[in-house]
Amino acid sequence: MRYSVAVFPSLLTLFVLLLLGSHAAWQVDLGAFGLSGVSVALKVTSLANFFAVLVVLSLLAVTFIAGRYSLSKVHYLLLYLLSLALLLIVYAQDYLLFFVGWEVMSITTYLLLSFTLTPKALVKYAVFAIASAMAMLGGIMILYSAGQSFLYADAHAAYAALSPVMSVLFLLLMLFAFFVKIGVIGFHYWLADTYAEASDFFTPFLSAVLSKMGIYALMVLLLYVVDISAPPHRWLAYTLALMGLLSSIIGSFKALDEDDAKRLLAYSSIAQLGYIVTVLSVADGMGGALYHSLIHTLAKLLLFINVAAIIAVTGKRKFSELGGLIYRMPHSFVLMLIGIIVLAGMPPLGGFASKYLIYNNLLEEGSLLVLAAMMFSSAAAFLYIYKLIYGIYLGHPSSKKLEEAREVPFVFLLPQYLIAAVTVGLGAFPGAVVPAINSVLAESGLALLPYSSATQLGTQSGSYDGLVVILAFVLLFAAVLWLLLSIKHNRVKEAKDRFDIAYCGEVPNEGTRLHYAYSMGKELKRVSFVGAILRHTSAVFYLFVSRQLFAFAGMLRRLYSGNLSVNFNVAVLFALVLLWWSMK
Amino acid sequence: MEEGFLIQQRQMESDLSSDTSHKSSVDFLMNWFRKRSIFVLAYGTGCGAIEMPPTFTSRYDAERLGIRGAATPRQADVIIVSGYCSYKTLRRIIRTYEQMANPKYVLALGSCTVNGGMYWDSYNTIKKLEDYIPVDMYVSGCMPRPESILEGFLALQKEIAEGKASSWQRYEENYEFYRKNQEKVLGRNVAPAYDADWYLYDGGL
Amino acid sequence: MVEYEMIVIDLFLMLVSAYVVGFLYYGLYRNITARFQRRIGPPVTQSFYDSIKFWVKEETLSHGWMFYLGPVIMMAGALMTLFFIPFFYQSDAFSGLSRYGNLFVVLYLMMLGPLGNAMGVGAGGSPFGAMGVTRGLTRLFAMELPFYIAVIALMSINHSADIATIAAHQESYNAFSYPLLFIGALFSFIAMMGQSPFDVPGAPVEVYSGPASEFSGKFLALLMSQSAIFSFAKLVLMVNLFLGGASGFAELLLKTFALFVFVIAFGALYGRFKTPQSVDFLVKVPTGIAVVGLLLAIYGG
Repeated sequence: MRYSVAVFPSLLTLFVLLLLGSHAAWQVDLGAFGLSGVSVALKVTSLANFFAVLVVLSLLAVTFIAGRYSLSKVHYLLLYLLSLALLLIVYAQDYLLFFVGWEVMSITTYLLLSFTLTPKALVKYAVFAIASAMAMLGGIMILYSAGQSFLYADAHAAYAALSPVMSVLFLLLMLFAFFVKIGVIGFHYWLADTYAEASDFFTPFLSAVLSKMGIYALMVLLLYVVDISAPPHRWLAYTLALMGLLSSIIGSFKALDEDDAKRLLAYSSIAQLGYIVTVLSVADGMGGALYHSLIHTLAKLLLFINVAAIIAVTGKRKFSELGGLIYRMPHSFVLMLIGIIVLAGMPPLGGFASKYLIYNNLLEEGSLLVLAAMMFSSAAAFLYIYKLIYGIYLGHPSSKKLEEAREVPFVFLLPQYLIAAVTVGLGAFPGAVVPAINSVLAESGLALLPYSSATQLGTQSGSYDGLVVILAFVLLFAAVLWLLLSIKHNRVKEAKDRFDIAYCGEVPNEGTRLHYAYSMGKELKRVSFVGAILRHTSAVFYLFVSRQLFAFAGMLRRLYSGNLSVNFNVAVLFALVLLWWSMK
Repeated sequence: MEEGFLIQQRQMESDLSSDTSHKSSVDFLMNWFRKRSIFVLAYGTGCGAIEMPPTFTSRYDAERLGIRGAATPRQADVIIVSGYCSYKTLRRIIRTYEQMANPKYVLALGSCTVNGGMYWDSYNTIKKLEDYIPVDMYVSGCMPRPESILEGFLALQKEIAEGKASSWQRYEENYEFYRKNQEKVLGRNVAPAYDADWYLYDGGL
Repeated sequence: MVEYEMIVIDLFLMLVSAYVVGFLYYGLYRNITARFQRRIGPPVTQSFYDSIKFWVKEETLSHGWMFYLGPVIMMAGALMTLFFIPFFYQSDAFSGLSRYGNLFVVLYLMMLGPLGNAMGVGAGGSPFGAMGVTRGLTRLFAMELPFYIAVIALMSINHSADIATIAAHQESYNAFSYPLLFIGALFSFIAMMGQSPFDVPGAPVEVYSGPASEFSGKFLALLMSQSAIFSFAKLVLMVNLFLGGASGFAELLLKTFALFVFVIAFGALYGRFKTPQSVDFLVKVPTGIAVVGLLLAIYGG
């Protein structure tokens, strides 16, 4: 690995860490540059710190494994520009700098993706990114027109000054922009192809951080602009809850239908971010949303790096071509096991903490059916999680080459081990993140989470002790294992080879299809609602929209045809109309 | 390596030479538990299998003796060879028998397992099961009624309790003998092959 | 230090009682099913004999370290679930670790064991095992939905996620105050106990016994033990949530046995649904009943 590439990420991390303690703020009035009445501001808030840490963490992890991918200087330059843009988004205190950062992020992402994406996927990404950026610009301009300022500090008053129609329009435009970036279902058309075809070192960054920028933008909207608990905005709460719910449920089932590991994880991202969107619809949901952002970043970094390592060693991405790697790559298997336990949100590891907060927030708010749907989609997540690990590591190898694969290089293992250690630590000490979350809540004047010790995580409804859970599990596991080992009379024999399975008296050989679960979701199509989900895609809707656009353009063609005399006459007519209207 | 009749001889005298006759109270206890809980592999190998469902269902209720069915050879203690064994079935029986966990017992039903029974002059069946896998208990008849099968189970339980049901040890000790006989009828590749090489060693159809 | 010793003794007593009572219940299950089928059935202690017989087999087959650890994780998960459910809501005895957790923790711990076992079964390499696991996970998300709705309604009514609190607040049993919730949860409970019509994952013939197909000897004994302990833990949970908890061992045994008899009677009478059929049914009928029950409970005063 070329060590020079580590310089910039390390410097950036140091910069962010130094800023953590300070409360630096910077505001400048752009009147001197000819834009009177426009000020821009940067400020180190707790919310900014939280997301900045996620950004540099992902950057470090990605740069570490990027050394294996023979990248040119342009790649690294774009990656660094991207991280700077992300930090600009996070530290900005006004919508102008925010939009500048957003656009630089979109452009650098596009350029980075252009190295590996097929033209079709690239166009999908570009269209959605541009549409979302333009929608956001429209929303920002509506806000400016009411408040004459881009600053977050003036945003609340500006929003209050909007007429009801304009406020709804503003919210719809902003929501569209954010939902596209987050990948909420219905707006996710670009996401699966982009994540799957992006270079393997970049997909962790996409999933861990770039989708979080949409979350961050949504949080800024809810903290500085709109007060979601106020009665006129109940529709916003219902919209967020519904879209988040649909993302979780539909995303989980669509993930199950995939044969490609990266596409499965892409749909899993959609499902997981649905949780965050849903809990943000609740007045006190910010704590759960922040915790889950952290957990999701960690889990997706771990899983995507794991899959990248598998692809680097075997060259294969589909479950139908993988399998049986557990005994060739035991480290990778254990790391992925930790990753999926965190993703599923099971105790004793850290994923349960964020789920616990989210569920308690929904319970206390009284959104009971939403809570039931969230728990349902969490249970449905077990299926695609098992498919992921079975397709790659368990079962039987699908080709001779896999039977001789070596363990993945250390470059991939080290970041995974560190992230896994953090998640285990969060499992034992779930309360350790609460002070950081509480500083964010305190700055915005929201109710704080109760904090008694680092091992306990609690809300008003109750608390649990993470250290007890994890210790109990480890001790019981050791006790049962000791029991098994101490019965000497009953010897454990190892099977002679992988074909020695009870197969109704037959003996399978290499030709027998034994790697069953690689096609695990297919039988679910016979369940009516799952089949309905899997049969319909958003492609139909977007094809409809594009066909209408083509029809509209076809209508315009009559006026703007290639015929020069027609064009001239239309232009003259149009100019006369404009002249008359300006004279009025 | 012994000839067939010597093994038969040893079987009749098995009271004295069995290894699992209880030497200690632990052995006694273990055999007692093994006697009280018998899992029978759900595998009907021949026409004698028609008598198994009545034995295990309500009318004759083998479950009161602690006998119940098991789905896979890994979970089973007893395999019932119920009737004639064609070469095709013999292959699967041997494979299944080898996949069971020790201690395992074989209950042979019907006269076909003793001397070929009704199919004594068939080109396609084996005439003496003891040559191919070791048998603990024969229940003769064609085919034995559920009462006989239950009596066979009771006798098997008595043998297990006394530590005399040691066919699995016989198999391990005389493996070459059994393997030689198996290869004679099934060919080199005793495990089922999906081609028809079992034709070759019997002079064809 | 005295407190830690008391907790360890408490946990040990919970384990022993769950083991003994669980196995007795399974023996009784075979007896009661036999009476449904007009026969006698094995002695009540038959389940003990079965599991001890598997412990004293001469050999066990294993397919690698993950296969070995699968049943261990399943047993650890079952024990964790047992220890976080208090037996008696009024006293500290037999409360185990329940003061360190609550109902959300228990609901998720219930899934820890099966997931660990799924890893072991997958590592074993039997496609029938993987098939059984797939069906089990499919059944899981369908059967949990009515149960979650009922549990969420109870948590909201009692303003607490603590099991002992929910058990203590019932002047009349929740089963009679909120009958629709109880019926919805009961369907889920039948599936959780692995009874017909929702018992296709472990079906002996359809899926070659599913996840249990490659386990022999020690592992099978461990699986049987964890099944007994886990069933008892689930029974105690249902009694605490819907049948008013228990203040003594006799009352606990009586209530769990009544619930258990109902579940196995249901199972003895019905045939087995296919997996898509059970998912379809569970997501429509019990969920609908539970949703109506929730709306009535929350908004009906």
